[in-house]
Amino acid sequence: MIAQTAPATHSPAAPPSPAVPKRRRRKPSLYRTLSRVLILLIVIVQVYPLAWLFLTSLRTEQDFATGDPFALPGSLTWDNYARAFETGDLGRNILNSFIVTMGANLLIVLFGMMAAYAIQVLGFRFSRFVRGLFLVGIIVPVQIALVPLFIDYSTVNLLDTYQSMIIPLAGFALPMSIYLFSSFFEYIPRETYEAASLDGAGPYRIFGLITLPLSLNTVVTVVLVNSIFIWNDFIFANTFVLSEDLKTIPLGLQNYIGAMGKVDWTATFAAVCVTITPLLLVFLVLNKAMIQGLESGATKG
Amino acid sequence: MLPNRSRTSVLVFLLPPLLLYCAAVLFPILQSLFLSFFSWNGISDMEFVGLQNYVRMLTADDVFWRSFFNALLYLAICLVLQLGGALVVASLLTSLRRGRELIKTLYLLPAVISTVAIAFLFVRIYSIDPVGLLNQLLHWVGLGSFERAWLSDVNTVLAAVSAPEGWRFTGLYMLIIYAALIAVPKELEEAAVLDGASKWTLFTKIRFPYIRPVWITTTIMATTYGLRGFDIPYLMTNGGPGQSSELLTTYMYKTAFTSTDFGYASTISVFIVIECLVAVGLILFMLKRKADS
Repeated sequence: MIAQTAPATHSPAAPPSPAVPKRRRRKPSLYRTLSRVLILLIVIVQVYPLAWLFLTSLRTEQDFATGDPFALPGSLTWDNYARAFETGDLGRNILNSFIVTMGANLLIVLFGMMAAYAIQVLGFRFSRFVRGLFLVGIIVPVQIALVPLFIDYSTVNLLDTYQSMIIPLAGFALPMSIYLFSSFFEYIPRETYEAASLDGAGPYRIFGLITLPLSLNTVVTVVLVNSIFIWNDFIFANTFVLSEDLKTIPLGLQNYIGAMGKVDWTATFAAVCVTITPLLLVFLVLNKAMIQGLESGATKG
Repeated sequence: MLPNRSRTSVLVFLLPPLLLYCAAVLFPILQSLFLSFFSWNGISDMEFVGLQNYVRMLTADDVFWRSFFNALLYLAICLVLQLGGALVVASLLTSLRRGRELIKTLYLLPAVISTVAIAFLFVRIYSIDPVGLLNQLLHWVGLGSFERAWLSDVNTVLAAVSAPEGWRFTGLYMLIIYAALIAVPKELEEAAVLDGASKWTLFTKIRFPYIRPVWITTTIMATTYGLRGFDIPYLMTNGGPGQSSELLTTYMYKTAFTSTDFGYASTISVFIVIECLVAVGLILFMLKRKADS
C-alpha cells in the first residue's frame, strides 16, 4: 500500500502544489491519517511557542502572572511595547545588528567568491591543501577563538568595535561560503572561460564579467543562510562588546533582565517580538529562496 | 585551470580571504595550543608550565569530567531530536501532496529566532510559578506528579536545556533530508513496491541507502553544532544548579572570562577541538564502513 497515491480530500488551508502530477487514486488509509495527525502535532510543537510568545506580549502583567498560560489573553494591550521601548534602545540594537550582518556578509560573499575562484577556476599547485585548510573551519567550534581573539583585540585596540564582531563571524562562515561557490563554479562550463581567454580576457575580467554575474543566485543563498546566524550571534558580541552603543539585538535583549534577576516578562516578550520581526519578515518573504539555499547547500556535499 | 592566469592573479584572489581566515580561525587555534602550556591571568607575566594544565584537566578536575559527560548527553539529546525528528518529518512530508511548502516554512521558523529570545521563551515554558506551558500540559493530561521546576531540578535541567537546541534546528535538518528523499528515483521505489516491499523495507533498503551521503553530511553538521552548543545553557542556567548543566564550552568560557585563567581555558579549548575532530572521524569511519559492507 502506498500512501502517497490516495486523493487529498482535506487540508483546505494549504495551497495546492502544482508540480505534483495526478497519480492513481486510492482510498485514504490509516497510515495516511496517522501521518497527517503526526505532522500536525509536530508543526504545533514548532509553532505554538512562538505564537504564545506573541500573545503574551499583548497580555496585561496581571493576566500573565495569574492566568492559565494557555488561555487567550483577557484583554489586549500595547503597554508592554511602550515599556519595552522605554527599557532598552531597541532601535539602536537593530541598527547595530544590521551593520554587523551587512559587514560580515560583504566579506563572506566577496572573499568566499574570490577564494573559490582561485581554488576552483584559476587553480594552483597547492589548491588541494588550501581547500583542506578551509575545511578545518567547518569542523572546529567557534569558542576556540574567543580567548586568543580577546587577547589579540586588546593588544591592537579592537575590543568593543564593530570589527571585533565582524572578523570572527566572517572568518568562521568563510569555509561554507567557499564551498558553496566552488560547487557552483564547477557547473560553469570550461568552454566559457576558454572562449573568453581566447578573446584576450585576463583572470580579472573573467571574474568580473563572467563568474560574478553568473553567481548571483549563489550570492543570495550565501547571504540568506549566513544572515540567520550572524543576526542572532550571541557569543562573539557578548565576549567582545561592552558599550551600550554597540550592543546588537541578542545583547540588548539581555538588558531586560533587571537587577536581582527580576524580569518584566510581558515587556521582555514585547521586545523579543520587536527584535525578531525584521529577520522574520525577510524569512517569510524570501522563504522559497532560503529553503532552496539550505537544501542545495548540504545535498551537493 | 585558466590558460591566461598568472601567479599574481592567484595571489590577488587568494590572499585576502586567506588572511581573514588565518586571523580569525587558524591563528587563534595555534594560539590556543600555545597558551595551553602556560599559566596566565591576562595581567601578570606568562609562566610556562609545560603539560601541567593537561595533567590537571585530565586527572584532577572533576568539573571538567562532569562537563564532558554533560556535553555528551547534551549532544545525544540534540542528535535524537534533530536527526530523528528531521528524518521522521521528512519521510512523512514526502507522503503529503499539499501544503509541503507551508509546513517546511513553519517547521523552519524557530531557526530564525535568536538564542536569547529562545532562552527567555523556554524559561517561561519550564516555569512552575506562575505555571508554565509544560507543567500546565502535564497537569491536564493527568501527569501532575511530573510537574516540577525543570530548570532547578538537578535531574532534569540538562535535558531541559538541551531540548530547545534540538527544537531550534530540527527544521534545518529536515529540509536537507527532505530534499535528499525526494531525489530518490521513483522507479526504484515503484519497482520495490511491485516486488511486495513493505513501507519499512522500502525505507531501510531503498530510501535510506540512497540518501546515505546526505545523512553523513547532516550527522556531521548536527554533531559539530551540538558540540559547540553554548548559548542556551549559558543563558538559561549558566551551567547550574551546581554543575548539572555545565558543558565544556560554558566551563571553558567561565574559566576564561570569569576566573581569567586564560592558560587553563585554552587547554579546555584544545580539548574541544580534538573532541570535534575525533567525533567527525568516528562518524565518517562508522557510516562509511557500513556503506561498504
